[in-house]
Amino acid sequence: MASTVRILAFGPARAQLGADRLEVVCPGPLSPDELWSRLLELHPGLAPSRATIRLARDGEFLAPGARLHPGDEIALIPPVSGG
Amino acid sequence: MTIDIALQTEPLFPAESKPSTGAGAVVRFEGRVRGEEKGSAIDALDYEAYEPMARRQMDKIAREIGSIHPCLAVRVRHRVGRVPVGEAAILVEVEAKHRAEAFAFLAEFMNRLKQDVPIWKAEPKS
Repeated sequence: MASTVRILAFGPARAQLGADRLEVVCPGPLSPDELWSRLLELHPGLAPSRATIRLARDGEFLAPGARLHPGDEIALIPPVSGG
Repeated sequence: MTIDIALQTEPLFPAESKPSTGAGAVVRFEGRVRGEEKGSAIDALDYEAYEPMARRQMDKIAREIGSIHPCLAVRVRHRVGRVPVGEAAILVEVEAKHRAEAFAFLAEFMNRLKQDVPIWKAEPKS
């Protein structure tokens, strides 16, 4: 059974993370705030961007109050600039 | 409403025009790469997308806007990879019975795309 959350990073967030993906240990359900705490322990360089990076799962932005679970794939979505 | 959305590395071209008995308005928008970004001259921009989510969000946005501004068809193409100055990074074509809903759909679609569709542009590093 999965015990991690996979993180995908795009755009400017990838440069700040220094990688396009990583695994965060997640033995049980996590709130987005708890995930951020773990991410910032591993990558303090993300701190200035926390307020502008949105989290997404399965192609949708996380709804308020969402819980994350082991095995989830969570994308870090910095401000977009397409079009 | 038919929705046709794709991301592609190749240059964008308008769809082949075919007679449509229902559409009184066809509106086309191209967003092109300008020769300047943040005050500096550039030759191109690199576009990156989180492709599955980008397609899903564009489809969702088109459906939402279509429920407010009913149109007959929308076709969206967005480039990924390097796009030289002067070429289109995005092409949106909307068919509707009347021009008002086509213009409204297009304007709102572009506004929402620039907020919620995970595509990023960057100046080429080399």
